[in-house]
Amino acid sequence: MTELDAHLRKFQKELSTGTVSLALLAVLAKAPEPLYGYLIAKELERVGDGVLSGKQSALYPVLRNLEGAGLLESHVEPSVAGPPRRYYRINDDGRAALRQWIAAWNATRDSVESVLEGIN
Amino acid sequence: MNTEYTARALPTTIPEYLDQLRAALSGADMAMIQDALYDAEEYLRSELAEQPGKSEAEVIAGVAGSYGAPEEVAEIYRETEVTVNRALRTPRPAARPAPAVMAAVGAAAATAGSGPVLPPREPVPRSLLASFFGVAMDPHTYGALFYMLLSLATGTFFFTWVVAGLSLSVSLLILIIGIPILLLFLGSVRVLSLVEGRLIETMLGVRMPRRPTYTDRSQGWMQRIGAMFSDGRTWLTMLYFVLMLPLGILYFTVATTLLSTSLALVFAPVAALVTNQPIGIWIDGVNVGNAFWLWPLSVGVGVLLLFGTLHLARGVGKLHGAMAKHLLVRL
Repeated sequence: MTELDAHLRKFQKELSTGTVSLALLAVLAKAPEPLYGYLIAKELERVGDGVLSGKQSALYPVLRNLEGAGLLESHVEPSVAGPPRRYYRINDDGRAALRQWIAAWNATRDSVESVLEGIN
Repeated sequence: MNTEYTARALPTTIPEYLDQLRAALSGADMAMIQDALYDAEEYLRSELAEQPGKSEAEVIAGVAGSYGAPEEVAEIYRETEVTVNRALRTPRPAARPAPAVMAAVGAAAATAGSGPVLPPREPVPRSLLASFFGVAMDPHTYGALFYMLLSLATGTFFFTWVVAGLSLSVSLLILIIGIPILLLFLGSVRVLSLVEGRLIETMLGVRMPRRPTYTDRSQGWMQRIGAMFSDGRTWLTMLYFVLMLPLGILYFTVATTLLSTSLALVFAPVAALVTNQPIGIWIDGVNVGNAFWLWPLSVGVGVLLLFGTLHLARGVGKLHGAMAKHLLVRL
């Protein structure tokens, strides 16, 4: 039982590593205004189920990576609640990348679904 | 889900949570620890602000499920660090990767269990002015400056040690007592080489060995002694230590001269204002620099000279680090 659980966790982790950046880009592309890490995490928690509901601390390094890759832009604003917040906004490169990623995701999903067809 | 973590008590305050996270991350890259603590604090404080009725302990208990307990968060950051390092090593793809490439990358990432493979952003080219004055923001500049000042003391010591040790043990070789003294001396040179390496890595930022060199303990001690003599590093280390005296004198002289000259130029007008001493540039007893309009010029030249000195110190640090690396860790 624990063996199976471990396999499932590993699989979920591998699935999420590929999809989290896609989900983050999508959330920021839909957002009307820049969001900071906590709001992005809560948004994913609200809509997300399955692999996206993993530990939210994993989102922050991915956000930083996406910014480092030039797909997001960020600025810092002071906050009354705690340390200054870093607000993220998607840029044009990010939107272009998102379009390509969505196409790649659709292709992957279709092929996986056709492979899985007929299994119950 | 996280049964393996429930054994350790959850922290009840945000500083405690951050302390646990820092402890769980100990040994990792300092920059990463700083990032992780920053992210966690932002999340925790935001969560606390969102739920005004709840106590800090209750909020943290809830957060352990969504954000993760400190140990889980540490684990996640450590893994990300590994995958990011792996990603940084991959060659940078074309500016806009084709969908096929992205799909392939995604598939590779999924199979390898790695994170998003994203190319690093190219460094923004800085203006000439920014790079000239930016030297003051580089911590290695000050390390190198301090090393230049310190090298007079260390250089004198190393030189004395090598010259005294070598002449003493070689001249005593006539008697049998010279042999153990020579061996002790050679051993001490290796230890000093390690110490100097630590100094250089701390101050100049050049990666130097943190452990003594490997010695093959399967060999007999006669062979190991023989290896010490045939090892080029022993002699190169001694050469380095002998070189350290003239270099140390040079570094110290250059650093003190340039620093005192530039600081004197910068602060001469201030000294003229607060003291009654005559200020100027004396050549052969004649003051050639007491004109009022020379004051701003003096400050300007002083600032330029000061930053030039910082550049020189950083350059000397790089050169000296490269030299030490060649002489002390060549093989």
